[in-house]
Amino acid sequence: MMEQSSIDLWKPVKVVKLRVYKYNPKKDFFPEWKEYEIEVSRGTTILDALLRIKEEIDPSLSFRYSCGQALCGSCAMMVNGRQMLVCRTRVLEVAHNRDFIELRPLDNFSVIRDLVGDFTPFFEKHRAVKPWIIRKDVEELENPTGEYRQTIEEYARYYQFTDCLKCGACYSACPTVATDHEYLGPQALAQAYRYMVDSRDDGLDERIAIVDSDHGCWRCHFATSCSDVCPKYVDPGQGIQLLKRLIVRRKFGFRPHKPAEVLPSKIGEVKRR
Amino acid sequence: MRESTKMLLHYITGILMIITGLIHLLANNEPNIGKLITSNVYFYLANMGIFLAALLYHAFNGVRVILIELVPDTCWTKLIGWAILLIGIAAYIVGIQVLLMALGLI
Ligand code: SF4
Ligand code: SF4
Ligand code: FES
Repeated sequence: MMEQSSIDLWKPVKVVKLRVYKYNPKKDFFPEWKEYEIEVSRGTTILDALLRIKEEIDPSLSFRYSCGQALCGSCAMMVNGRQMLVCRTRVLEVAHNRDFIELRPLDNFSVIRDLVGDFTPFFEKHRAVKPWIIRKDVEELENPTGEYRQTIEEYARYYQFTDCLKCGACYSACPTVATDHEYLGPQALAQAYRYMVDSRDDGLDERIAIVDSDHGCWRCHFATSCSDVCPKYVDPGQGIQLLKRLIVRRKFGFRPHKPAEVLPSKIGEVKRR
Repeated sequence: MRESTKMLLHYITGILMIITGLIHLLANNEPNIGKLITSNVYFYLANMGIFLAALLYHAFNGVRVILIELVPDTCWTKLIGWAILLIGIAAYIVGIQVLLMALGLI
């Protein structure tokens, strides 16, 4: 058998129909579907295909992307009814046994235009849980004398949740978000947990007041559709369950950790040597 | 009351319902245990009183959760909470009255 060269990967192998949601709420009365046929190779991602359509067929097509390598989270959309990052999904991966791929904006987001959803409520909820380190020693934070000590076990407790891209896939898949628009949502709640168990953080009680509310973590029905679609395997559903446990334990007086102490900086010593 | 307290009570009443419900079933279906339990009417009354309270709390809190998800407005959330609480208390009073009458205590 002949060796397959890497160039062959880019040879066109199939013509695929892309059925794309087109809607400009400022102009159109109804959304409509538009079909585009394009040739794809084995390596063509859906983002590549969309870019080609925009360049060669329909410049008015709108979608969002930035990094092109599953790092920024801006290209999430519904591909055949499931939340995916289109920059890392190949066309042939989702096109087998079908003659078209259906692309539409994420559910649970209002549409700005075509495939672009409005992320304002999503980011507002993320901001509401104070996704930053809160410390009581403000003086140390502003004029650091060293670094905060953290063991590998303490780091492992929240590491998984730091991978969140804020892509909105989980928020879009959540049935509770669909009915309860005030619900904080899987992304914000998992991030709240991420900061609450960080040993460098002092904001536990401040955040409990936010997430232990009428439309906070107790509204999660634990269907885990959020974890199912998360492209980074963050497992926000698990984060919410752990958050519930944390809150109940706090009620009985447990704190998840002692605040991290400051390790005096070694930079001076190194210089002296 | 924090949402976590309400939900914790929701879980506890769920368990209480299983325990007291089981006692109630045994009292009616297992002659030996039945004699033991029904021989003291106040024990039976207390068991049923707890069962009814747990059942009503669990059921009405479930309805409250469904409603506040469907009508996610802060004003409505409070109103729904209070309305459900009042209906729950009224239902409990009626239930206890029926129970006392059935046991021949009033
Ligand atoms: S938790 Fe996963 S799905 Fe949700 S925003 Fe973060 S990366 Fe996206
Ligand atoms: S597990 Fe909770 S947050 Fe995740 S989809 Fe289900 S209800 Fe939403
Ligand atoms: S473009 Fe950045 S994640 Fe897809």
